[in-house]
Amino acid sequence: MVSNLIKLENVWKIYQMGDVQVPALKGIDLEVKKGEFLAIAGVSGSGKSTMMNLIGCLDLPSKGKIFLGGDDIASFRESKLAQIRGQKIGFVFQQFNLIPTLTALENVMLPLEFQDVDTSTARKKALEILNLVGLGDRVHHLPSQLSGGQQQRVAISRALSVDPEIILADEPTGNLDSKTGEFIMDVLNKIHRKDSKTIIIVTHDFYLVKRAERVVFLKDGQVERIEHNHKEQGGEFA
Amino acid sequence: MRFNKSLKLAVNILVHSKLRSWLTIIGIVIGIAAVVAIVSIGAGMQQNVESRLGGLGADIITISPGGGRASAGFRGGHGGGMPGTTATAATAENLTKKDVLVLQSVGGIEYIQGTVSGRGEMYYLGEKATISIDGVDPLVWKEMTTSELESGRLLGPSDYNVVVVGSRVAKDTFKQPLTLNRMITLEEKAFKVVGILKESGGFGGDDNKIIMPIKAARDTLEDVGSDEFDSITLKVANTDDVDQIMEEADKKLMISRHLTERGKDFSIRSAKSTQETMSDITQTMTLFLGAIAAVSLLVGAVGIANTMFTSVLEKTKEIGIMKSIGAKNSDIMMIFLLNSAIVGLVGGLLGICLGTGIASLLPLLGMRMMGMGREGMTTAVTPSLLFFALLISIGIGMAAGVIPAYRASKLKPVDALRYE
Ligand SMILES: Nc1ncnc2c1ncn2[C@@H]1O[C@H](COP(=O)(O)OP(=O)(O)OP(=O)(O)O)[C@@H](O)[C@H]1O
Ligand SMILES: [Mg+2]
Repeated sequence: MVSNLIKLENVWKIYQMGDVQVPALKGIDLEVKKGEFLAIAGVSGSGKSTMMNLIGCLDLPSKGKIFLGGDDIASFRESKLAQIRGQKIGFVFQQFNLIPTLTALENVMLPLEFQDVDTSTARKKALEILNLVGLGDRVHHLPSQLSGGQQQRVAISRALSVDPEIILADEPTGNLDSKTGEFIMDVLNKIHRKDSKTIIIVTHDFYLVKRAERVVFLKDGQVERIEHNHKEQGGEFA
Repeated sequence: MRFNKSLKLAVNILVHSKLRSWLTIIGIVIGIAAVVAIVSIGAGMQQNVESRLGGLGADIITISPGGGRASAGFRGGHGGGMPGTTATAATAENLTKKDVLVLQSVGGIEYIQGTVSGRGEMYYLGEKATISIDGVDPLVWKEMTTSELESGRLLGPSDYNVVVVGSRVAKDTFKQPLTLNRMITLEEKAFKVVGILKESGGFGGDDNKIIMPIKAARDTLEDVGSDEFDSITLKVANTDDVDQIMEEADKKLMISRHLTERGKDFSIRSAKSTQETMSDITQTMTLFLGAIAAVSLLVGAVGIANTMFTSVLEKTKEIGIMKSIGAKNSDIMMIFLLNSAIVGLVGGLLGICLGTGIASLLPLLGMRMMGMGREGMTTAVTPSLLFFALLISIGIGMAAGVIPAYRASKLKPVDALRYE
């Protein structure tokens, strides 16, 4: 059964700013299939990050329902949400968001340690992934000793370390030059094709948007339109 | 998350924390150092009092002229003499033979000893020294004294111009040590040394004294009336009766001397009561100083709490990151609680080092004002004290960290991630 891994039903997110209510999302309906490569596009302030955070269980909707694998995330307790974030979802952020006092290796091992994986297994796994993204010789560097592109590769490694079903990347190339950004996109593409992971990526970049199978355009907190890119692009970047 | 991983992260936070946060540890360091030093001084004083009063004998009651129990405790000691012999006898009536007779009517007393005492000039091989002299009834003294002979013999009933000397008088007072059968001159009279006592080390011991028959003492010392005593010592038959006998003796003396409680011109005490008084004093002092130390610990705790709040604030984004990759609230709570526990531990360890250092230096500074002399000041740093100091410092660290750690754990992941 090709199930909907992620399903948003009339999702609202309203921020309370003093007396004013700021609706960031206004009734979003969306279904994402397992193994899909989805892009979310839209101008600044259209609600892309807000939507990502909800899908990633970093926040709960004000109204509406979000289903992950059939379960309503609003019904979960805090520890269960943490478990989902730790096991099912891998985050990649625009600002890399590495722990500055931990080395590349320790950063990648951290999600595994939150899942009580024993140290030697975690270490092996982390080294394997870091090698995969071409950072085998930088594992003991602190984030501050790495370039932006390298930091983002560490962040991707960290997201992959627990072998999650879903990768959520919020403007992963936003802080990188176009060439490095392309490299990061190649890595994400590879993951998608090889491990058939579900990937959702937020971006303004029209060029990057075209690499996704499907693009959701947001405007003022609502889905403006959805485009399908039928062209298979994987080969070009392999 | 496993405990050792949380611990690793907690240590990581501490290692990378700013100098400012290290500085707040000082509050705990000083507090713990003060506690360790104060408690060890208190314990040392306690041990001191106990060991020194041990030599007094639990079955001995001493009555001396001069009221006021409070002044009695710290007198005597290094200078020698039974406690109270240097008391303010000027205004008080001396004890007399009549008092001895009154005391004889108190039951349960085995021996009664009237002692005259004073200080006299002593010459020996051309050297001069002022020495405390006790005049005692040789027969009774033999039974009552807790001092032991090192060589020679004790005083005998027919002795007149002979003396027994305390170990420090014999060994330390003159360049040439006093030996048996030597002649010495006391207040222009010649005496023969017939016995030398072993060192007692104790508080009311005879180490710094010369003991001679009371008849000789009356003739030698100035200002001693023919039937007056400077102190009366009772040896009770049964140690359990000490308190009761003391009370009775006190009552009878008050009546015979026509005294009221306010005009009381003698003091009566036992080794036990003296010890209790001294213990009370040391305990009160320890408590008082301990309270000051506790205040400083409290300040230290507030300092740590403050640092923890700042630290949590500074780490907000990292907390968000950790939550986004699967950290549970309990994981965050644990990490920050451990962090503050480690801060407490480090502060405690440093404080123990400092406190032990202070405790070992204090005796060198010589607390002469305590009237105990150089060797009178000892401190006792026990393993259990150190253990409790560590426990307290860790506890304070954790107590100070609980609220900040709780706040950190309750942060919403999105909000924490947005924090810059
Ligand atoms: N914590 C918040 N409190 C109040 N308003 C918020 C909060 N987070 C987001 N908003 C508002 O919600 C709207 C959507 O924000 P969001 O961050 O989702 O936009 P975005 O599409 O990711 O924009 P960008 O491309 O600039 O990242 C914005 O108008 C923003 O001001
Ligand atoms: Mg955004």
